[in-house]
Amino acid sequence: MKKLVALLLVLCLAFSVVACTKTTTETTQPTETKTEATEAPKAEEPKAETAEEPKAEEAAPFVVNACIASEPETIDPSLISSVDGSTYTNHQFENLMKYQMVEANPADDPNMKLTEVVLGQAKDYTISEDKTVYTFTLRDDIFWSDGQPVTAKDWVFSWQRLVDPATASDYGYFLDNIVLNAAAIQAGEKDKSELGIKAIDDKTLEITLEAPCAYFLEMCAFASLMPLREDVVKDGWTDPANIVVNGPYKITEWVHDSYLAMEKNDKYYDLANLGPDKIVWWLSDSETAILSAYQSGEYQFIESFPTDMINSLRESGDCFINPYVGTYYLYLNCDKIPDWRVRAAMAISVDRENIVENVTQGGQAPATGFVASGILDSTGADFAFGVSELGALYNTLQKMYPDADLSTYAGRCELAQKLYQAAVDDGSWDPNTTVEYNFNTSETHKTIAEACGHDWQTVLGMKINLANQEWATYTNGLGEHNFGVARLGWIADYNDPITYLELMVTGNSYNYGLYSDASFDEKIATAKGMLAGADRDKLLYEAEETLFGEGGFPVCPVYYYTNMYCNKGVTNLGYTTMGYFFFQYAKPAA
Amino acid sequence: MGTYILKRIVGSVLILLLIMVVTFLLMNAIPGSPFLTEKSTPEQIAMAEAKYGLDKPLHIQLLNYIKNYLKGDLGTSLKMQEGTPVKNIIFHQGKFVLSIKLGLFALLLAVCLGIPLGCLAAYYRGSWLDGVLRVVTTIGVAIPTFVLAALLLVVFSVKLKWVPTLSGSLTDTKSYILPVISLSSYYTCYIAKLMRTSMLDAINQDYIRTARAKGVKTSGLILKHALRNSLIPVVTYLGPVTAGIITGSFVVESTFSVPGLGKYFVQCVMSRDYPVIMATTVVLSALVIFAMLVVDIAYKIVDPRITLTTKEE
Repeated sequence: MKKLVALLLVLCLAFSVVACTKTTTETTQPTETKTEATEAPKAEEPKAETAEEPKAEEAAPFVVNACIASEPETIDPSLISSVDGSTYTNHQFENLMKYQMVEANPADDPNMKLTEVVLGQAKDYTISEDKTVYTFTLRDDIFWSDGQPVTAKDWVFSWQRLVDPATASDYGYFLDNIVLNAAAIQAGEKDKSELGIKAIDDKTLEITLEAPCAYFLEMCAFASLMPLREDVVKDGWTDPANIVVNGPYKITEWVHDSYLAMEKNDKYYDLANLGPDKIVWWLSDSETAILSAYQSGEYQFIESFPTDMINSLRESGDCFINPYVGTYYLYLNCDKIPDWRVRAAMAISVDRENIVENVTQGGQAPATGFVASGILDSTGADFAFGVSELGALYNTLQKMYPDADLSTYAGRCELAQKLYQAAVDDGSWDPNTTVEYNFNTSETHKTIAEACGHDWQTVLGMKINLANQEWATYTNGLGEHNFGVARLGWIADYNDPITYLELMVTGNSYNYGLYSDASFDEKIATAKGMLAGADRDKLLYEAEETLFGEGGFPVCPVYYYTNMYCNKGVTNLGYTTMGYFFFQYAKPAA
Repeated sequence: MGTYILKRIVGSVLILLLIMVVTFLLMNAIPGSPFLTEKSTPEQIAMAEAKYGLDKPLHIQLLNYIKNYLKGDLGTSLKMQEGTPVKNIIFHQGKFVLSIKLGLFALLLAVCLGIPLGCLAAYYRGSWLDGVLRVVTTIGVAIPTFVLAALLLVVFSVKLKWVPTLSGSLTDTKSYILPVISLSSYYTCYIAKLMRTSMLDAINQDYIRTARAKGVKTSGLILKHALRNSLIPVVTYLGPVTAGIITGSFVVESTFSVPGLGKYFVQCVMSRDYPVIMATTVVLSALVIFAMLVVDIAYKIVDPRITLTTKEE
């Protein structure tokens, strides 16, 4: 019995530890009481309210409960690199340009509308004759949430902060070779004050580019380039108590790892037309929990759920598949697999239809090029199929081997065997070589690796060794080029083929497969300095053909991404094919 | 006793120091950097590492950690909310308290339910009750927590709507029910099995037979004589379980959307957030060392025959 007493004593002591911990937190940190009260409300934690929950006599506030990801690493615009972080930023801040809904549905969802880039905080702009100087004039009715006017200096500060090496932003490279001196500042060769951006006066902003840029205006809507106030940005400035924003919504509560609540910013110029009174972004990484909360009506909008539930959710009628500009691809290391014919054989012998139908199951399309479907050329045509229906992956080979039937998987396998055998016969490839295929921990990556490995073994007789690694180890191995095959996904930063093709330029830090072709590099360099038009399109199409021609195939595109979501009860949502959702003008569904 | 406690406290500090050194060496031995992302360049990584002092020699970094810890500074997270002090993540956001609350309630349930169930199974050995309990406890031990948690969530939250789907910050009693049951299920069943075996062993001892021959009532026999001795393996088991049940709440917290500390034990390693790895390890180690110390002292208080030091012998 004394043992039992001892046990109970231990438990009592342990409980008192808990109690003491809490008391200590509350009593010894008076300066942080406000933050804690804001961040971890105990008594009034909001229950997910349904959009149409009726309340007696007064109109119920319209609250949207959405879950698009788990806790973001940051919501600081200069530091974000995730799609969810950008989505929160797009609701809190507004750039010179903004995304505005148009009357077109991205998929089969009548509640969702596509967006286009239009003027945001700027009311107009002019472009110099040589297309390198943009002068924006700001609106007169734009204010920060604390009432201070938004000025041109706020962009100067924000952009300089982004490119400053001391900020160590993932997107620090974003303005490289576009805005004057950005690359030199990133490299530490120039001071950030030399960036090609200056405030002529409070309402006039002048931006100088290195060369004409076809997609610069689109970049001016990007989340990383949002304006920021110099006097606001300091440690802890993104806490709800400290944050100052210029966009339609403002964070009012943030319980870390639980939810992030936003309410209307009453200083926003279009306040009268905003939709939800409150948007609660629930933060969760458990697909089971997310789906359960959706099914029980606590969430109205979710973006992730177990893959094996896709079919039943699709049948229920509220699960939709949106286009998403991204390519899932495999690096084929040019050092480890030096003969381009082996790489080409590997690239065309993957049964992509099998992968999208049986593995990913989310309506993805088999990839036929490196540039993702959804990226448009200057005529508005889908770049992925601009030259031929076959796509860049097969197009050059088809020209080289006109007898091959590359429109069918059987025909592709036949050519793959021929190319592979030629490399073996030449002695440039030892068929006993074991190729290391690295992927980061994920059931989907593993199954795709198994499917590709199976195809290469059965079609080409190659020896493949699959190696699963956790993310940090995996990315480290990528940087050291320590692989034969390695997977990656790339989501477009802006709608231009350069966002993909540039990655394969010699020396680019994402050129993990060590591809190098002087004519390819030259085409990309020339295209980057040209404005949109037929000549530029031609150059870019040629560049992608070079990538998948003789000496090429540094990558094996697998599929084009899609974006799945479930929506029940919310209409008038906006979407860009970069993966951002917009809830600011949402309405309750009828 | 006073000398013993003092010695143990000094020993605990040294153990913590050793844990810090080993953790530091291990976390630096695994490849990767907290600043590695799909879109980060080697130059950016180098600059970020320089900013946080990760470019300094390892022994300097370790000394800095120790110096800062002695001052009560756990550092700042390299990944979460730029510049957020680790102390805030662990303590001020309530994560530590939530995980401990959840863990201790689960532990309490496991003890309060596991011990009587084990006693019952042993007392009615061979009966239908024993059979049922044996099947139930075997299933309880075999079924993974994430499966049970998902099952409970779907049945009791989504279908029956008896309890909330999102337990959140555990603000009401209802929100505790499913996470606590999910977390304690394995331990309840394991303790019940352990208790049954241990109790069976005890009731077959000579002293029990003697007591029975002297006419001691069955209830008194079990509670007064058999239970005392059969509790020893269970109490021993509870030491490491305390640590496991608190750190092992990752799956449960994630499934029921409880913003606890559980996920940081896993996530910080994945993201190479060195200061958070160090802090969570040290805080948890301190907790376990403290629990062990309390258990030992409690033993001494309730049973003076137990010797704590060789000198006392």
